[in-house]
Amino acid sequence: MNNNDPSSHHFLRWFDPRHKSIGTIAFIINRFSALGLTVYLILHLVVLSKLASGGQAYDEFLILAKSPVIKIGEMFVIAGGIIHGANGVRIALNSFGFLVKIQKELFIGLMILSLAIIFYFGVHMFSGAQN
Amino acid sequence: MIRKDQFQSSSKENVWLWLTKIITGLSIVIFLAIHFIVNHLIAPEGLLSYADILAYYSYPIVPVMEAGFLVLVVSHSFLGIRSIILDLNPAAKVMRVINGLLIALGSAAILYGLWLLIVLVGRSTNL
Repeated sequence: MNNNDPSSHHFLRWFDPRHKSIGTIAFIINRFSALGLTVYLILHLVVLSKLASGGQAYDEFLILAKSPVIKIGEMFVIAGGIIHGANGVRIALNSFGFLVKIQKELFIGLMILSLAIIFYFGVHMFSGAQN
Repeated sequence: MIRKDQFQSSSKENVWLWLTKIITGLSIVIFLAIHFIVNHLIAPEGLLSYADILAYYSYPIVPVMEAGFLVLVVSHSFLGIRSIILDLNPAAKVMRVINGLLIALGSAAILYGLWLLIVLVGRSTNL
């Protein structure tokens, strides 16, 4: 087997940032954010069952949702969604043959833009603008 | 006419499933942009209570849009999980079981979400 062939034995390499090309780092970020967002999707669907339980159950949950711990969790979801979305747009463009020659620069540019948007959301969420 | 060899998918992934993942992903980005505009620009306070949500669902376009979003997100998510599992190079037999599980879980998630939407629409029309 070639050293780079897919294998479950190579899974732990995802957690080792050393000696990685920028393309591999982009790939790892995409996979990790995907796993995180999938866990969130399942939790979100479970939590939405409160809506079926009626107004009181949902409104009680909303009080809990305003706690700092939940807000920090929401911030991770927003960050994961923005990073995964921006990285995904790059993958789609490159896969269809667009901007392939500048894919590294595109990745760096999109990640800087993502960080700026995450920062905006962070300030908006924690400054009390959205209570 | 789309040719399979035009695209670059992961080595073991069916090209049409890969293309579905890309198209659903791009559609989600557009849906999310609309969601943020509606919730943070048009309604800056967001949907804060159960009553707000029922009022929101009384607009006919909203449940249709949410149903579409649900199908896109669940499809994209489960196709993505399948891609990650494929990266681990499982045996063909194991992959068949995983495919069955992912289809069952994805279908259950969509049906559950649609049921929830129907419940909310029913309650919003009784407002």
